[in-house]
Amino acid sequence: MPLLKVTDLSKVFYLGRNRKVVALNKVNFEVEDGEIFGILGPNGSGKTTCLKLLLGILFPTEGEIDIMGKSQFDVEAKEKIGFLPENPYYYEYLTGAEVLSFYGRLFGMSKGLIKDRTEYLLKLVNLQDTGKLSLRHYSKGMLERIGLASSLINDPKILILDEPTTGLDPIGCKETRDLLIKLKEAGKTILLSSHFLSEVERVCSRIAIFHRGNLLTTGVLADLLNQYQAENLEDLFVKTIETFDSAAEKEKSETAAVQ
Amino acid sequence: MGKVWVIASNTFREALRKKTLYILLVVALVAIGTSRFFSFLAAQDELKMIKDVSFATIEFFGAILAIFTAIGAVSGEIEKKTIYTLLSKPITRRNFILGKFVGQSLIILLNAVLISLFFIGLLISKKAVPDIEIYKSLLLIYVELLMIGSITLAVATFATDAFNIIFSFFLFIVGNLTVYFKQLVDRTENIVFKGLGEMVRTVIPNYENFNIRDQVVVGVSVSWKYIGQTTLYGLIYITIAVLIGIYFFQKREV
Amino acid sequence: MKNKNWVNLFIAILLYIPMGFLQVNIDYRRKLEDLEARLLLMPGQVAGSLVLGGFRGVAADLLWLNIEDLWHHGHTHKLLPLFESVAWLQPRYITVWAVGGWHMAYNIYATLEDEKEKKYWYEQGVSFLKKGIAYNPEQYDLYFELGWTYYNKGEDYSNAVKYLEKAVKFPAPDYVKSLLAHAYENNEQVDEAVQQWTKVLDTGFKPIAQRALISLKTDGAFTPKRRTRLGLDKET
Repeated sequence: MPLLKVTDLSKVFYLGRNRKVVALNKVNFEVEDGEIFGILGPNGSGKTTCLKLLLGILFPTEGEIDIMGKSQFDVEAKEKIGFLPENPYYYEYLTGAEVLSFYGRLFGMSKGLIKDRTEYLLKLVNLQDTGKLSLRHYSKGMLERIGLASSLINDPKILILDEPTTGLDPIGCKETRDLLIKLKEAGKTILLSSHFLSEVERVCSRIAIFHRGNLLTTGVLADLLNQYQAENLEDLFVKTIETFDSAAEKEKSETAAVQ
Repeated sequence: MGKVWVIASNTFREALRKKTLYILLVVALVAIGTSRFFSFLAAQDELKMIKDVSFATIEFFGAILAIFTAIGAVSGEIEKKTIYTLLSKPITRRNFILGKFVGQSLIILLNAVLISLFFIGLLISKKAVPDIEIYKSLLLIYVELLMIGSITLAVATFATDAFNIIFSFFLFIVGNLTVYFKQLVDRTENIVFKGLGEMVRTVIPNYENFNIRDQVVVGVSVSWKYIGQTTLYGLIYITIAVLIGIYFFQKREV
Repeated sequence: MKNKNWVNLFIAILLYIPMGFLQVNIDYRRKLEDLEARLLLMPGQVAGSLVLGGFRGVAADLLWLNIEDLWHHGHTHKLLPLFESVAWLQPRYITVWAVGGWHMAYNIYATLEDEKEKKYWYEQGVSFLKKGIAYNPEQYDLYFELGWTYYNKGEDYSNAVKYLEKAVKFPAPDYVKSLLAHAYENNEQVDEAVQQWTKVLDTGFKPIAQRALISLKTDGAFTPKRRTRLGLDKET
């Protein structure tokens, strides 16, 4: 039984009259308990749209999302999810500890529990010495780290991370990666989107490649490399995208010929 | 309810740490303070002038604060994209709107009460201890301000900020002039216009209901029944606005 | 979560029904308690731009300051429309009626030479006060002001009695009561004068009342005729 199951998920944005953008086209995938699942794709491929649909921030045009047997709008499902958006946005007038406590209270956590978790998480992301510094004065890397900490406040079963290493320096990237592996070892299920192939290659057990709203392929990395006779993830990535684009091109010229 | 309160207190705290509140507060206090310069008038006239200026100031600056706080509460959250994180937490969208409403209401009341205290202090310093009628008028202004905030909050769930600001101020002006509208409608012979006019008058917020200060400043008493009815009117209108806000926010994709 | 959303909108629309009924009630009470504002017909530019619901009071105050200014610079003729404007904005503001009437019947009157013009402004003052009474019929103030104007400026004692009698029906200061007694005397209503002075005995004007009662018994009422006979003319 997968923790998260996406069935025929489509999202169409209507931009005025007769203009629509298919951001996601009949996507199917599953995330198993305890794995790190990587969503790969170039910018604008539908990764973020997919994650927003999973969190109930956007509404699907078609399709179903099942999170541990619950709908994505269900408060009970959200209690077990941690989410870190791309370029985290926070209340810049709060301090790190205040942000964690605010989110903790939204989970209905007790004061004592929030205090313990806050202390633990600030130490985990190496921000224990920031004290009364408000987020306005944080560096980009610090913001990313407090974001990660706040997505962990409820000790989530599923952690959804949108481009967690964007804007981080190499050391920051490595620290984040190490943290993800540590979390996986602690039994968390992680769903992460990224366009850094090397990062995905190192941490993910399974991947899905998105392109122009379509899910091109999904599976265990080693199997996929075999299947597509690719040398590495980069090779695989380029091959799948080229195959898709030439097929689309062909279809286009065929329909043009018919007309 | 607990989660509504968490969002409310965060909204309250955010507004407290912004400059808008303090700037408006200072300008309002200066406005009321200037009414003291008319002390060359007879004492009775001066008191009336202090009251007129103070009531108008509390209403006008309160309205500005209500509109901008409500816009900051919803659009600010969307603009800064903090809404993504917030909606991924186990709260319903109804919780979000209710929390924002409670939080902004606290700020609006805090601002209005602070200016009122200054006003009452000024009266006492002039040896004119305010009577109950003054408090009745203040109460109605507070209800009006909460109503203004709730309407702006509702509009913020589906419209742009620019539209919302213009619309809210437009309603503030029109809602204060409903009596003229009513007098026009009453004088119309045409049944269709009359019906349409009555409908429009029911739909737009009737802020004129909360204006009893022209009577209060000259010492005319207003019945508690009237205060009760208009307060109830305000509460119903606020409920409508919040429900509409919830409706549109449930449908909104951010 | 999405499917039951229409309920919010439905309840919101439903709530307009009780609110509509409530508004009818509120309209009724506003009329009953005289809270309704007057139609938008406004002389004066300052006020015109400020007649926005909540700023009526402030507009009235600014006009009032204008009146003070014009008065001190001697532009008496420009005052009348301003008095009308302030009174229109806040008709329950008694001071406007009282001071306006006083300005017209006394101060403008005093600046004029021509008897016809003097009479005109006296009458303007009287009619302004009468309009004020129509808006504020439940208080002694304007009855007293009008009574005093008739008594003191117009020497029209029957009208003075008429309005002072109305003034004393409401809670009023003692001098109103004693003025009524004087008015009775001047109007040659001796019995009423005696009765009224007797009432005044209970007030701070007791010594005056005692003297008046004695003089009434011995010499009769202190009427204008008697004043002329004694060579005592009314002070101006």
